[in-house]
Amino acid sequence: MRKQLPPEMLARDSRFVRTSIMDQILDPRNRKISERTIGPAKLAPGRPASADRARNLMHGIFTGEIQALEGAGRTMFDFDETEAPFALKLDMARQCWDEARHVEISIKLGEWMGTEIGEFTEATFLYEAACAPDPVLRLCGVNRALEGLAIDVFNTMKEFGDVSGDPVLEFCEDWMLADEVTHVKMGSDWLRRLTADDPERLERALDFQRTVDKLFSLGGFRGETDENPVHLARKLREMAGFSTTEIDEIAELSELARAEGKAAVEAAGSA
Amino acid sequence: MSDPFKPRPAFAPWDRRELPGLFDVEESARRVGAYKWIEMRLFEALGGWIATVPELDVKMILGRHCYHHAWHAELFDKRLPELREMNTDRLCAPANDAMEAFVEALHEPDAPELTIEKLVGVFRVLMPRKIAAYTFHLNGTSRVTDAPTQRSLEFILQDEWNDWREGEMLLQSLIDTPEELERAIRRQHELEALVVRAGGITGPGTIGTTTEVEGAGV
Repeated sequence: MRKQLPPEMLARDSRFVRTSIMDQILDPRNRKISERTIGPAKLAPGRPASADRARNLMHGIFTGEIQALEGAGRTMFDFDETEAPFALKLDMARQCWDEARHVEISIKLGEWMGTEIGEFTEATFLYEAACAPDPVLRLCGVNRALEGLAIDVFNTMKEFGDVSGDPVLEFCEDWMLADEVTHVKMGSDWLRRLTADDPERLERALDFQRTVDKLFSLGGFRGETDENPVHLARKLREMAGFSTTEIDEIAELSELARAEGKAAVEAAGSA
Repeated sequence: MSDPFKPRPAFAPWDRRELPGLFDVEESARRVGAYKWIEMRLFEALGGWIATVPELDVKMILGRHCYHHAWHAELFDKRLPELREMNTDRLCAPANDAMEAFVEALHEPDAPELTIEKLVGVFRVLMPRKIAAYTFHLNGTSRVTDAPTQRSLEFILQDEWNDWREGEMLLQSLIDTPEELERAIRRQHELEALVVRAGGITGPGTIGTTTEVEGAGV
């Protein structure tokens, strides 16, 4: 088996349709949609198409969980014990089991919400963060940035389940949230341990995390206003070990990503 | 009410545990080190394969099993210092070169079309060998002196049985045609030849030696 499996080699059955995240953001139809005055972007039951948007988001969670499972698995295999200590591999194995459960939950929730596997496209940017050649970068990109995003997404979906009167959605998201907080803590712990004597490596890893965090903000996908479908879950992030400064930084990056995304949509529309 | 000060036997009548066992401390530690090594190589392989199998159910099951084998490795790792081996890396090693070659061959399949080959290696070759080795240790070691190893092996064997059964069912559900059956048999044959050469998970004597007994078979 080869080491370092590139994203294009991720194995999927025939139901899955792959797309690139940039194609999704630069879709010329986005401009028309953004011109409509249909109220805030926040996921709310009273909004037009909120059920479809929630189903789309749920399918995105499903494909994201598959990639998180694959990423944790590759981190165990791609590195020997000098690069990834035994205890880190054990944590990654535990994460594999957790992510496998999340895939199961996502499939059942998707069915509950009326979605079929493959109904929406899959972008592989989550797995791409798990392809870094240094395990510390993977931990920052996946466990801190991606799993941090998962905290925001699951909390948003949990709240949506609450306000839309869907106890099954609320129940499942709450369980997945509990695991994600653990995964973020795991990432922060290993980041500290593996870079204790190497400040340059720490800085490289944190830089990578900033890049991934900005990418995950997806042109305004995540933020703190009603214009953002997914909200930054400050309290839960604090529980996971993020400092207020780190959370503020993510909020700033999200705002930057929203502005850049808007400009990109306008540029694509006028081209 | 019975007299609490009346002497009772130290061992209950149903407690048939005996001294000594088949293994001294050194031999038990050598075997446990080999078990940890094989569990590590297995959970790494399962983790690596998750991204390479297109079948969604297989993907999720590999994710779950991967953790089981990591936990087994952890249990063995914790036992080694108790067996006088403070440097746990020293004994975490393949039994011999042939065992290393077997694991290398086990890891080989990569392409998404090779799920049967991947699963046959794990569920029809390696796991039966592990179950055999662990059962031999469990039955052969002193249930008094080596009780901590025995307790771990009991937990581990329960996982192994459950996972082996699930893996075998996965394979039965994947093998539909004579060509697929041929692939499974060929793969099993290739890997069995290697593991036979190795003598099993802990090398020759993994499940004891069969000594000729005078008059046997008469």
